[in-house]
Amino acid sequence: MSKIDSKNAAMTPEEQKAYQAKQKQRAAIMAGLLFFLVVLFYFITFVKINSSIS
Amino acid sequence: MTTASTSPYKLASARDLFALTKPRVMSLVIFTAICGLMAAPGSIHPIIGFTAILAISLGAGASAALNQWYEHDIDAVMKRTAGRPLPAGRMDRETALHFGVGLSVFSVLLMGVAVNWLSAAILAFSIFFYAVIYTIWLKRSTPQNIVIGGAAGAFPPVIGWAAVTGDVTLMPVLLFAIIFFWTPPHFWALALFVNSDYSKAGIPMMPVVAGRKSTRRQIAGYSLILTACAVAPFAMGMTGAVYGVTAIVLSLAFTLLSFRVGVSRTENPSAMQAEKHLFKFSIVYLFALFAALVADRMIFA
Repeated sequence: MSKIDSKNAAMTPEEQKAYQAKQKQRAAIMAGLLFFLVVLFYFITFVKINSSIS
Repeated sequence: MTTASTSPYKLASARDLFALTKPRVMSLVIFTAICGLMAAPGSIHPIIGFTAILAISLGAGASAALNQWYEHDIDAVMKRTAGRPLPAGRMDRETALHFGVGLSVFSVLLMGVAVNWLSAAILAFSIFFYAVIYTIWLKRSTPQNIVIGGAAGAFPPVIGWAAVTGDVTLMPVLLFAIIFFWTPPHFWALALFVNSDYSKAGIPMMPVVAGRKSTRRQIAGYSLILTACAVAPFAMGMTGAVYGVTAIVLSLAFTLLSFRVGVSRTENPSAMQAEKHLFKFSIVYLFALFAALVADRMIFA
């Protein structure tokens, strides 16, 4: 769990909203990248296993 | 439990992290790496080939991030680079460093595990070369910075080749030499007409230290070495006529434009047409030369 530090008091509601929007955007992109890597490694594993069999 | 930075401006956006990888420079890296991969004898599974190019791209992006982490101070005083995420204050240096180091490690491991460890080793060395030897050591200490640092940009086709064959022969060394000797005329042509910016940042770029006359003479000299390297694969029977004719025609044009720069005496950057023409043509030159190499391989293989 993450929390905003004590200086958070200096943040206006607009700034906090912009901060959270950036966090959300980064999290969504990270999720997409992780999913892409799972698929990529799945195929790499298949290619490696196939080449070692043949 | 972690504590987040409170400033919305210091939490780097995904767009700024992407900008940190210098996507425009990366396009040339990807292109030359693909050409090295496609020109190599033998075959590679498309998934493994794609992974090799992905790892090279990530490695190039990591180098660029580390470069901007270190150069945040000089980027801030140059008009061309002042808008980058670090000098513009949209990202803190620590984020750039973590991003660069993380991406470097990931790209090398990806290459090693999925492709082969020789290409991973060359990729690791190219990142080290660009981030440490060029950025930290040479760029601020010698006017030869571009010459030696250019080696970092010359590695991608060698890595692409090594990804397919698992070794490094004379042909990828020549591809390396082509980019290595192409870099000084390309960057010095740019440095001649943006000279004031480099002076302001205190970078010992050749036109600042040795003067414009000497730089122009060196551009002409390097174009001759470049021509020799570009024509060598054809002259030594390693490529066919498609590459040979393209290399001869393009190199002749490159040499002529370089000698035009060599005899130019213009001191006003905005009037430096010869330098601007050479800079623009140098980009076309490299793209066309490597495209011809791939076309040649596809036709004659």
